[in-house]
Amino acid sequence: MTAPRVPHTLPAMLTNSLEAAMALTSKRSDGPAARALDLIKTYGTGEVEVRALDGVSVEFERGRFTAVMGPSGSGKSTLMHCMAGLDAPSSGSAFVGDDEIGRLDDAGLTELRRDRIGFVFQSFNLVPTLSAAENITLPADLAGETVEREWFDALVVQLGIAERLSHRPGELSGGQQQRVACARALIGRPELIFADEPTGNLDSNASAEVLEFLRRAANEHGQSIAMVTHDPLAAAYADRVLFLADGKVVGELSSPSADAVLAHVRRLGG
Amino acid sequence: MRRVTVRGLLARKLRLALTALAIVLGVTFVSGTLVLGDTLNRTFDDLIGTAYQHVSFQIRGKAAFGNNNATAVNSTADRKPIPESIAAAVRRVPGVAYAFGSVGGYAQFMARDGSAIGKGGTSTLGFSFDPNPQLSPYRLLQGRAPTAAEDVVMDKATAAKYHFAVGERVLVDLPDRPQTFTISGLVTFGSDNNLAGVTLAGFDPPTAQALFNSRGYYNTISVLAAPGADTVKLQRAIAAILPAGAEVVSGQTVASELSTAVNNGLSFISTALLIFALVSLFVGGFTIFNTFSITVGQRTRELALLRLVGASRRQVFRSVVGEAAVTGLIASLVGLGLGILAALGLKALLKAFGIALPSAPLVFEARTAVVAIAVGVGVALLSALIPARRAVRIPPVAALVEQSEVETVLVRRRQVIAGIAMVLVGVVAFVAGLTKPDIVLVGVGALAILVARGLLLPLVARPLSSALGRPLARLLGTPGQLGRENATRNPRRTAQTATALMIGLSLVSTIAVLGASLSSSAKNSVDSALSADYIVSGKGGFSKSVVADVSRLPGVTTTTVVYQGRFEVRGSLSTLVAASPAELSRTVTLHTTAGTGAPAMAAGELLVDTNTADADHLHIGSTVPVKFAQTGPTTMRIGGIFKANPLLGSYLTGDGFFLSHFDNPLPIAVLLSRAPGDHGLDGALGRALKPYANVSFKTRAQFEASQQASVNQLLGLVYVLLALAILIALIGIVNALMLSVFERTHEIGLLRAVGMKRRQVRAMIRSESVIIALFGAVVGLVIGTLVGVALASSLRNKGVTNVAVPLPSLIGFLVLSALLGLGAATWPARRAANLDVLAAVAAE
Ligand SMILES: Nc1ncnc2c1ncn2[C@@H]1O[C@H](COP(=O)(O)OP(=O)(O)O)[C@@H](O)[C@H]1O
Ligand SMILES: [Mg+2]
Repeated sequence: MTAPRVPHTLPAMLTNSLEAAMALTSKRSDGPAARALDLIKTYGTGEVEVRALDGVSVEFERGRFTAVMGPSGSGKSTLMHCMAGLDAPSSGSAFVGDDEIGRLDDAGLTELRRDRIGFVFQSFNLVPTLSAAENITLPADLAGETVEREWFDALVVQLGIAERLSHRPGELSGGQQQRVACARALIGRPELIFADEPTGNLDSNASAEVLEFLRRAANEHGQSIAMVTHDPLAAAYADRVLFLADGKVVGELSSPSADAVLAHVRRLGG
Repeated sequence: MRRVTVRGLLARKLRLALTALAIVLGVTFVSGTLVLGDTLNRTFDDLIGTAYQHVSFQIRGKAAFGNNNATAVNSTADRKPIPESIAAAVRRVPGVAYAFGSVGGYAQFMARDGSAIGKGGTSTLGFSFDPNPQLSPYRLLQGRAPTAAEDVVMDKATAAKYHFAVGERVLVDLPDRPQTFTISGLVTFGSDNNLAGVTLAGFDPPTAQALFNSRGYYNTISVLAAPGADTVKLQRAIAAILPAGAEVVSGQTVASELSTAVNNGLSFISTALLIFALVSLFVGGFTIFNTFSITVGQRTRELALLRLVGASRRQVFRSVVGEAAVTGLIASLVGLGLGILAALGLKALLKAFGIALPSAPLVFEARTAVVAIAVGVGVALLSALIPARRAVRIPPVAALVEQSEVETVLVRRRQVIAGIAMVLVGVVAFVAGLTKPDIVLVGVGALAILVARGLLLPLVARPLSSALGRPLARLLGTPGQLGRENATRNPRRTAQTATALMIGLSLVSTIAVLGASLSSSAKNSVDSALSADYIVSGKGGFSKSVVADVSRLPGVTTTTVVYQGRFEVRGSLSTLVAASPAELSRTVTLHTTAGTGAPAMAAGELLVDTNTADADHLHIGSTVPVKFAQTGPTTMRIGGIFKANPLLGSYLTGDGFFLSHFDNPLPIAVLLSRAPGDHGLDGALGRALKPYANVSFKTRAQFEASQQASVNQLLGLVYVLLALAILIALIGIVNALMLSVFERTHEIGLLRAVGMKRRQVRAMIRSESVIIALFGAVVGLVIGTLVGVALASSLRNKGVTNVAVPLPSLIGFLVLSALLGLGAATWPARRAANLDVLAAVAAE
């Protein structure tokens, strides 16, 4: 059992402001950050019908880092899209906090995404014409709000992108781009971050930096995170791993190590 | 979000610059037209201001026809002359400091080589020179005022240009005959060397009265009030001594009537130019629409990402529309600046086509800026609306999927239904318009067909471009084949890109068909109306002595003198043409359908054409009320009805009747026939007309050709003005190709990597461009020709008797389009060929 790498391997840039910022964190109700009830999603009809989700019920607990694992095509992305209001399920319901997503109109969904959810994807996270700093503050700018200066500074320092803020995405490495995306996801202190294979395009070092950051965000700020991955090493950073296969939840592990995840995957696969 | 918009604008500078160019050109045209119009108005207003600066009152005959309609105002022929005695009476009215009676008329200076100076017709002015400078706008610069019958003063511009000096002799063509005068002095009009290009010949007042057949009369009397006189009382006092039929008005009134008349006349030019400017903007709007459609398509992922992180639909909409607004604004400002140059260019263009205008400093009104910016921004915004609507429909998930570049042919059912419905409406309106005939209905039909074309075009884009591309593919091999496939892979885009050119070419071909029909109808109307062997005509009227000089030539068997004047018939102002009825059939062919021709004319009866007779239900024997400026109201009996012919006009009568109702009219044409077998008339006619520099003769064939030439000249002007729309359409093609090259960077890199040569890349892009251009041209020409034929047929009543389709011209346009397409590809092709292979392959 190898424990996830501990935060002290990060550059020792952690400032007092980070702790100060932590003190401000959430005053939200208990209950899960998001949950899904019996989600079914089918694509196509008749012969070509694909059941991407086949009755999935899950809860993402508040303040915890949950990983969703499964082989390619198992419905991980579909689940995330349905739970984030990016796609409508064929049946079943999804909630963010106490709000049922299916009841929201386009304006409601827009506000939900802008104010209550953070996203990190595998690629194309950033607007190419905006600088890193502008990408980070984009959701706030869209809402016509200003970001908390201290929180912004703390995030960029912790992510090691303070020197790159004026660069365009095209001038950043893949790892840096993903870290900018993480900063953007966290800047608004969302109720939940959805991350879909955030390390899918990164080498192991860059992956570790992103994953360690997400881990710390959960630990230190009580940030709720739902991350989709097919990498056992990545899943091991989570507090809890859900296993998905053929659109169904087929297992779960708590406080997993990479080996345990791998073993579980083997068992499912075998 | 504003930042995203601004950054987007900056990132797409080049593409936006190209987009903006379409607006720049359109706005340049619009503002140029406005500047030109304002400049001309100001120039004439200044001239009129100078002329009436010191005139307190003017006494003149009351306008004969209705109230001050545009041309009646200026024409002394429509007002009765004032007896001389009135001037003397007016001078005795207390409060009158000075009064001067003036006459004016045709006086054409001749250069030393015997040629007419200036353009003839209305560009010469003969007048009675007022030696007292208090009232007169003319300033004696050199020499002395004309005092004797052989004295004349000449404008400084003519003297300078044709090297005349005080004391020298000059030949002047006058209403009765040419006469030689001695230049007693040189004059200016105010501070100008002539009157807006009009030559000035000033005579001693009694001489002028004699020369212009106004012995004992004045055209007008100008009055100067004594300093401190009560003008209201004075005007009343003058009015009290005037006979019926004369009136006294203030100098200001005359000036403002004149400037209104001139401005109305000029606004016709402005309106015509503005129509072409709007056509350019319309075409420009399509190219902008296309560019924005393509960019929104290419930015799908980016826009979806914005939606994903919380941009609302409204914000995305505003960002696309905002981009358009900024583009439109910048383009409008640039266009506004260029508009001044355009004003000069338009003026030169009009001049090249025979419409001369005075030169003056350009006038830039605030209104020009407002209109130009409103129009430019408005067009940009309108064109961006549909792309912006598409942008807001992009779902946020689109950010998460790889964008498929090849758009499937999405034929929306609504679009097809709407298109077919429009076609039906269009055709019904068209046919109804033709059978009526009603030009408005035809226009509505044409418009509906144009819209339907836009809806259905994407459907034919693939098969038609594929067919057009086949020869290219065969000729150029693989690059041609690839170009052909590129042109057909996204039919909607191909159709949109070609639309601008299509509109341009359909207008061009409509005009071509209309022009050919007009030209052939002109020939036809000469053929069927004239049997004369020679037509003697001038620019406007000419001396009566011409008639005597040509009719006495040996070999001339028949002489028909033609006059033309304005009269009121059944309450509306019309033109009356008069001819001497003797042996009329040898020079003019009147296809009378009822009554008689020459006998009725000789009897002073009125002949009307079939169109007028039908419309007004006139029969032989009906009497119609008519009114003449000089002689007042009377009635005329309809003595004949003849087949309508634009050359003859609608109303004809005999010269005897005409001369008794018009005051000293000038002949406008003399028609001659010669004895059979006599060929020697050309030389004799030339010699006889030598003294009359602005009078020339044409054989019937030459006359026919000149009638057609004037149609063709107009056609040429219209082509030049439409060329801008075609240019804008080409910019649209360049733009779309640039966007395609940009979007296919990776693909082009791959082709290069697997061995395609630069030359082949260029050939590929060029083929695509030529196919798009040909596609636009073919559809445009077909539709334009149909519309042209329809329009020409619907104008049958208006004198377009023949409908002609100028096939060689149309084929020429097609070839030209292909060449233009080739030209449009130059830059995109070079860009594609010069892509760095490695970077291109790496590009996403
Ligand atoms: N837009 C779509 N249209 C049709 N099928 C889809 C679509 N999106 C996903 N699928 C199918 O749904 C299943 C689950 O896909 P996804 O959720 O993307 O899997 P994962 O993210 O676990 O790899 C797959 O079989 C996939 O082919
Ligand atoms: Mg996935």
